[in-house]
Amino acid sequence: MTLNITNVAVLVVLGLFATGFYGLLAVRNLIKVVVALQILVKGAMVALVAAGNLTGQLQAAQSMALTVIVADTIVAVVALALAVQVRRCIGTLDIKALTSLKR
Amino acid sequence: MDATTALTGLILTPLVASPLVYLFGRLAARAGAPRNPARWLALVVLAAALAFLFPAGQAVLNGSAVEVVDGAIALRMDGIGLLLAAAVLVLGLLVTLFSSPYMAGEEGEEKFYALLVMMCGTMVGLGCASDLFNLWIWFEAMAVSSYMLVAFYRQQGASLEAGVKYLVQSAAGSALVLLGIALVFSQSGTTSLAAIRAGAAAGSGPVLMAAGALFLIGFGVKTALVPMHTWLPDAHSQAPSGISAMLSGVVIEAGLVALLRAVGALAGVSTSWGLLLMVFGAMNILLGNLMALRQKQVKRMLAYSSLSHVGYMLIGLGVTVGFQLAQGAAGGFFHLLVHVLMKGLAFLAAGTLLYALHLAQGSHHPLVADDLNGAARRYPFIALVFSLALLSLGGLPPLAGFMSKWQIFVAGVQTHNMAVIVLVVFAALNSVLSLGYYAPLINRMYRKEIGPVVEMGKPVPVVMAVPLALLALALVAAGFYPALFGWLVNPAAASLLVAFGG
Repeated sequence: MTLNITNVAVLVVLGLFATGFYGLLAVRNLIKVVVALQILVKGAMVALVAAGNLTGQLQAAQSMALTVIVADTIVAVVALALAVQVRRCIGTLDIKALTSLKR
Repeated sequence: MDATTALTGLILTPLVASPLVYLFGRLAARAGAPRNPARWLALVVLAAALAFLFPAGQAVLNGSAVEVVDGAIALRMDGIGLLLAAAVLVLGLLVTLFSSPYMAGEEGEEKFYALLVMMCGTMVGLGCASDLFNLWIWFEAMAVSSYMLVAFYRQQGASLEAGVKYLVQSAAGSALVLLGIALVFSQSGTTSLAAIRAGAAAGSGPVLMAAGALFLIGFGVKTALVPMHTWLPDAHSQAPSGISAMLSGVVIEAGLVALLRAVGALAGVSTSWGLLLMVFGAMNILLGNLMALRQKQVKRMLAYSSLSHVGYMLIGLGVTVGFQLAQGAAGGFFHLLVHVLMKGLAFLAAGTLLYALHLAQGSHHPLVADDLNGAARRYPFIALVFSLALLSLGGLPPLAGFMSKWQIFVAGVQTHNMAVIVLVVFAALNSVLSLGYYAPLINRMYRKEIGPVVEMGKPVPVVMAVPLALLALALVAAGFYPALFGWLVNPAAASLLVAFGG
């Protein structure tokens, strides 16, 4: 496997997704869960830009990535607002405390 | 008015009006208006959007999809978009009317209406997206507005818990969809669905297959395909009842439409994709039924029953995707519409009882099955429409739920494929099984002695009963005259075949 930009991007994307999913599964603090979600989306964004580079559509890919940043920030804001409210009402950010609803 | 102007108006009206609804409601609440007028503004906005839908829909029904392209924003309303828009706006109107007494006096009432209008607008947009990236943006916008509505009772731990679960699962799903879009983009160099479709016809390589799998997982979270369904019962049972009706009636179906659009651009008519959708459908039906059987809370039981109804739709749509038979999708889309009516009715009727028995007395207790004992004596009308909805969900003739399931099963048998016929028989048996949890509720309402909870119940406001009556009427009419929605369903089925390149 040669070290060109596409392969590096693939490795970065895989690394970010692995980190993000590990975070989603292993971390107990709600704020860190939100960070893990952010890492996932950042991985997808790198993939988007790399795809643009590969097909010679870099500008289109970059404008899409910018739009993703905006949409993603809104999700993060809503998630953090929920986290604040969870801390206020339940008194902890530990997601293990969020299991009152049974299957 | 020409069709393109109408489509622009249809999309823009709710999006532009949503912040205005909030501002207006906020100012009115500050000025001390006793009944927040934001609800009436929301009602007017949705009615205006529905008025825009008529000229746009007329053009679609005449056989030409309506297109609006402005830079990178690409909208194209075909039969599927029209079906989704009609379902969303009609249910949205009824839910707004229902919520007017239900949400009265809640803290931040104006936010509820602003977000409801926003959610309706984004779903109409989602149905009309003709570009993969646009589709993702609409999907994300719909998800954000629904997160806040699910966690609307923000002082309740349970509803926050439901909101967090929903947000985390759905956001992880949309990251996977985005990765899928990147994979598609790396192969085709475009995000226009039609162009991807044209390019993919040459032969779909492993990268596009991976993208399809990512779409299936990512959009599958919102559609509540079985291993990705765990957010659904929590979110549907904890949200305000009007929102439960919206989530179950149109939001998960919007996820299904997004899934079909994205996969349709990649796969084309292929037996393996059709069978895959049908197998997911069968898993949804079985798990939804088994889990619903053991629920004590009424809204949670209805949430699990949504799982199984998505399964019926998937079987119908899978027949079209796999075998190019338009009848399957016609049955599937008919079931989608009927599900909007019957599950909307069931959630709103359960919400009415929840309101009368618990909420109006200031308690946030869930409505459990025992609370319904003897409800028919005290609330005869609510009990009647609730029973109609439940019987239709269980697929009893001559109600609409039977007609739509029947169409799906007939289409499945027409494929003359042994695997499909086995799946159809399995689904039909499950439909019988589902009566095992619908019928006891009816039994409780009509045959049990009146319980202490019903004894203490408050009267039901008339405004709440109006949407119930309208939905029940439509449900019975569609049962006795199943061709009633044919003008809406058949173009949608034809559009699905076109989307899959058939």
